[in-house]
Amino acid sequence: MRKTKKLSSNAKINTYSKKITHTQKPFSIFNMTRNVVLVSIMVVAMNAKGLRLSGGNAAEYWVYIDEELEALNYKEHLEDKLQLNLTNEEIAVRGVFFISDPSLPNPNRLSHIDYSIQYTKSPVSILYGRFHETFARGLVLNQYIDEDFKLDNSLQGLKVNLDYYKSLLTLLAGHPRNMFFEENTYRIKNANDSTAQIRGVDFRTKLVPMTTFGASYVRINTEIDLTPKSFTELFGGSIDFKSGPFDAYLEYARHLGAHPGVGGRLDGYGVLFSAGLALPGLGISFQAMDYDSIGVGGPGYRYNEPVTPIKSGTSVNRGTDEIGFGASILFSLSDYIAFEIDNNKISTHDTTLSRIEQMFVTNESMDAVIEQAIEIIAYPRYELEITGGIEKLVKQGIEAPLETKTETKPYIETIYDFGTWFIEAAYEHNFTSADTSDYYDQAIAVAIGKPELFILTLRYERRNRAPQWLVDLGKIDDDTTWPLAELSLDLTARHNLRIRAGAEKGGLVCSGGVCRFEEPFKGVKLVLTSIF
Amino acid sequence: MRRLTSLLILPLILVFAQEGEEHKAPSFTLEDVDGNMVCLDSLLKDGTVLISFWATWCKMCIKELDALKPYAEEFDSLNITVLAISQDKTRSVPKVKPFASSHNWTYQVVLDPDNSMRQLYSVQAMPTFFIIDQDKQIVFTHQGYKPGDEEILIAKVREMYEKNEEAEQ
Repeated sequence: MRKTKKLSSNAKINTYSKKITHTQKPFSIFNMTRNVVLVSIMVVAMNAKGLRLSGGNAAEYWVYIDEELEALNYKEHLEDKLQLNLTNEEIAVRGVFFISDPSLPNPNRLSHIDYSIQYTKSPVSILYGRFHETFARGLVLNQYIDEDFKLDNSLQGLKVNLDYYKSLLTLLAGHPRNMFFEENTYRIKNANDSTAQIRGVDFRTKLVPMTTFGASYVRINTEIDLTPKSFTELFGGSIDFKSGPFDAYLEYARHLGAHPGVGGRLDGYGVLFSAGLALPGLGISFQAMDYDSIGVGGPGYRYNEPVTPIKSGTSVNRGTDEIGFGASILFSLSDYIAFEIDNNKISTHDTTLSRIEQMFVTNESMDAVIEQAIEIIAYPRYELEITGGIEKLVKQGIEAPLETKTETKPYIETIYDFGTWFIEAAYEHNFTSADTSDYYDQAIAVAIGKPELFILTLRYERRNRAPQWLVDLGKIDDDTTWPLAELSLDLTARHNLRIRAGAEKGGLVCSGGVCRFEEPFKGVKLVLTSIF
Repeated sequence: MRRLTSLLILPLILVFAQEGEEHKAPSFTLEDVDGNMVCLDSLLKDGTVLISFWATWCKMCIKELDALKPYAEEFDSLNITVLAISQDKTRSVPKVKPFASSHNWTYQVVLDPDNSMRQLYSVQAMPTFFIIDQDKQIVFTHQGYKPGDEEILIAKVREMYEKNEEAEQ
């Protein structure tokens, strides 16, 4: 079943790649020229006065067991991302050389060279090439990068900023590329819409004291659209008020476009409100959101990214039909003890309830995520830190085929710093109730480290039994123990090498409303990060 | 062939990134949690700037900034500004100021929700720390944090000031 699914998805991707190769052929000479121009600029510029070259590199190499393979039972994964920045006072040239090469057979080998050239002379900045941009809090446009989560939503085109008299005007035009790592490979999520164009304008002004007013407009043109002459528009406004320890923010956005799949005009909206209070030793934050068809994109990607209140990163449907809130209180009673309490919820609408009730109440008809957490950090002595807490996460209609999944995780961790070296120990117990199936996971970890040198972590995780629903999904095997060792070595202050060997259980991981299923892993990972 | 090329690139990078290689810090202007615009060039007129890339979800980043709290007075006396660049995405932006305040941080906290600063400084891991002197040179870079690493950072700052004093004399 699983193999069939994989084959069909690969077949789909092959079709896409054929399509893309065909359409991109006439541009191959241009790409070649582009690379030569890029290298020439760098070589010439290196000899010029006042220039500097800096950058970074992240390389990963994995070898892991794949028991489904018959002839060779291991696979590899190699990826490398080299960033080079060449700058003087006014001009910045940036190049990103990326390669991801999973084991064969795999059609998803991906490599590209991204570049950007930026000229900045106050009050103007002009950028041509690949860039990221977020308008306000992202209801209208949010093409951002999350390197830790391996998500890169970018635009290739032109961006102009005019920063003049407490005001900032941004104009942009570009082609989006939404890249995401899933099923052990990188995919261009908007491969179907790789010809889409995004045009946008954003204006922010601080002319009124303590207040920032903003307005944004984005138009998205796509080649394939079921509604003739239909295009997608997003527009909105925001007010950000800050006074001493208090701040409040309100953003409203509208979406006029075409219904995905069925065509016809679509009218959506999104409202985001947040408020915060920051006093010495005390921080309170609150946010509320209400979205109806504001998320714009396709299956698994968005050109904007409506905010989710869930700390662990889950959303319901990324701005299609969501309402919720998030509240957080942090306080330090003294130098010895600190608390953090979180209560967050997001769900689909239930129009039989009032809007306020929909925001705070969850009933059976809603798909929902509810998250509650409390954490206490104690410092009984300067060298000793003890952290304890409990997290509860309820997912209703989120993880198919389950109707309801409830996870309750108490945990404790402690660090003792001996000065020349330190020791860390942690334990967590995750009780899971998935419809009628109950099971639990336990994990214990011990780490020892020396500043500026290394951390060696040993982790052992076990599950009391493999739940049938998870095995039936075909995404995990029936393992119930996952031992793991990791050595993080500071080769120098600028180079870190991590060697991880053992087993990882995998599962659903999320960040900022975006989720992926990480497959179980048995093998070795090497990660080398450098900065220069 | 590509694999081989990539593997060959790695040693080159190691050679490139030798200790002691100083280079100029890229300029930037960012909004802080109070809504003020913070410009690196302006901060450098007052003294050295320490930049820390952190996020509310990054435990080691928080430990590092907490560990630097006892040195706040020393930083003030040496005209050092600690700039904590938050890498929190739009979801967590409302939480950044209350978070910093609850930890009693006196650092200047700025926002970078689309992570453009992380790109500009080629930050590969969190936390990453930079010391930028008044000539706008990055004189020290440090990736990651382990308890005790702050002592190395402080030693570097003190060494830098001692050198400056000797040069002035």
